[in-house]
Amino acid sequence: MAAHTENHGKSFLKSLIVNNKDIPAMPFIILGLILCAVGGFAVISVFVKGHHEAYGVTRQVPWGLLISSYAYFVIISTGIAFIGGLGHAFGYEKYAKISKRIVVLATIVLLAGFTQILMEIGNPLRMVYMMISPNFKAPIFWMGMFYGIELVILAFELYLIFKPNQTEADHKLAAVAGFLALLVGVLATSNLGYVFGSLNAREWYHGIYFSTFLVVSGVTAGAALLILVHTIVYKGSLPAELKPSMVSLGKLMGGGIGVMMFLYLWKMLSSIFTEPGDAYMSVMSLINGPLSFNFWIGEMLLAVILPLALIVTAKGSIKKLSMAGFIFLIGLFFTRFDFVVAGQLPPMRKGLAGSGVITDVAGFAFYSPSMLEWLVYMFGFGVFFLLYFSAEKFLNLETESHH
Amino acid sequence: MATKKFGIVLDAKKCLNCKACTVACKFENTIHPGEDDYRIWVTELELKGTYPNISQEYQPSQCQHCENTPCASVCPTKATYKSPEGVVLIDYDKCILCKACMTACPYDARYENVHLHAIDKCTFCYQRQPEGREPACVETCPTRVRVFGDLNDPESEASKLLARNHTYQLKPERNTRPRLHYIK
Repeated sequence: MAAHTENHGKSFLKSLIVNNKDIPAMPFIILGLILCAVGGFAVISVFVKGHHEAYGVTRQVPWGLLISSYAYFVIISTGIAFIGGLGHAFGYEKYAKISKRIVVLATIVLLAGFTQILMEIGNPLRMVYMMISPNFKAPIFWMGMFYGIELVILAFELYLIFKPNQTEADHKLAAVAGFLALLVGVLATSNLGYVFGSLNAREWYHGIYFSTFLVVSGVTAGAALLILVHTIVYKGSLPAELKPSMVSLGKLMGGGIGVMMFLYLWKMLSSIFTEPGDAYMSVMSLINGPLSFNFWIGEMLLAVILPLALIVTAKGSIKKLSMAGFIFLIGLFFTRFDFVVAGQLPPMRKGLAGSGVITDVAGFAFYSPSMLEWLVYMFGFGVFFLLYFSAEKFLNLETESHH
Repeated sequence: MATKKFGIVLDAKKCLNCKACTVACKFENTIHPGEDDYRIWVTELELKGTYPNISQEYQPSQCQHCENTPCASVCPTKATYKSPEGVVLIDYDKCILCKACMTACPYDARYENVHLHAIDKCTFCYQRQPEGREPACVETCPTRVRVFGDLNDPESEASKLLARNHTYQLKPERNTRPRLHYIK
């Protein structure tokens, strides 16, 4: 019986493996391998040197690039899972058509995000204390819970979508799992806003803004990445049945950017009127301070203006939509970086002699990521490219039929 | 009998900026050299007045041992906790170094102790309590800027100072209810 099960297991796994020659996956797999190798070197260097030596974060700015990159990946993942939930659980046909790719993409992007938080946390092994001695009041505890549960749901969805001879019951289960992935994803991302919002000292993060903004920008980014990935996989010429899905994702992305603009407007204006508080300093660091290049070029031009202009003028052109997605995903890095860093640039006391605090003339604390931080970020991309394009190459990610 | 409530009353006007407190703290608690590695500090406040009538004050400070502790609330493993006397302490073995407490602290009182591989901060020299000794910064100060004691005991020197003087706390708007009281 055991031998039979083993054979059955082997044949099941074997049946999953294909060799998709038409998909241009190899350049991305090689890129992934290179980034993993370079990033792997950085990871080892961090372990040898220690986080304190390896990273550019300071006493004044304890959260830096790796928290930003963690947020970058995991929020895209939950955004993709949100879109998947719309397809699976709410019957949006256009998204259900790409549900297999959605589940695989969401899982791998989430894993890429986990590499970042594992490298950011100084003592990941001690995370066992989150189970032994949990603090239910701490948002980080819930962050671990929600993202952990999200990974389990996505793993279950993976099992369901690759299961041969699917039954009606499997489809129903997939709908439930899709809904749960959407729900837990939204909870996880909005809770990430709460992780920052619960910091007594940092006024910039207080309120409902970031919990909302992160969810909206995550769904927008999910749509952007799905369009981009489909354009790559089909080398720019998508099958006719998928074009409406891409156009719909383009609209979702455009709508998302619109809501982001709305949120930006009121957050920035209301923060300006908190002068001389720390939220005022944070907004000034973005508009006219150390983060102004990131804000105007990265956040505004690359993540808002250019992609929106491309989407508005796309008129069904998938090429333009994918270009918009690509530019948006670059801009989104600045959005995440600024979100994390701007709140920490106002120091907790003036940078006077003896205070131990070092500030610039405008009174902002300093933060500049170290080379190893950048390379660990590249490691995240390496993991994504390697795993996702290997999946494209060796698994069948076409959604043949669905409920 | 009410439990003890440790706190410090500071008369910053007495501060000479000799920094003996910071040195004593480093020796007592084996704090290694490093730009960000310190538990207490003495800020040289901005000059007041115009030349030649100018004056300067100093502000010695440290962890405020808040009654409403923003650092403990965000700690996912309860590594930050309070002693029965209300002293905010860290269980180094439980610290995952997520640094949420550092970002949550409105007083920038915490730092990463590379040697302990955990977050660290002022503990009111809690290790001295069994011997009944005061914190090193209190003991070493030549002008007695800091007075340490049980704020629940009306007969303690700290309580008497608190009763006799107008005092203020740092960043009251943060609602942390610090255990450090500065004499006006």
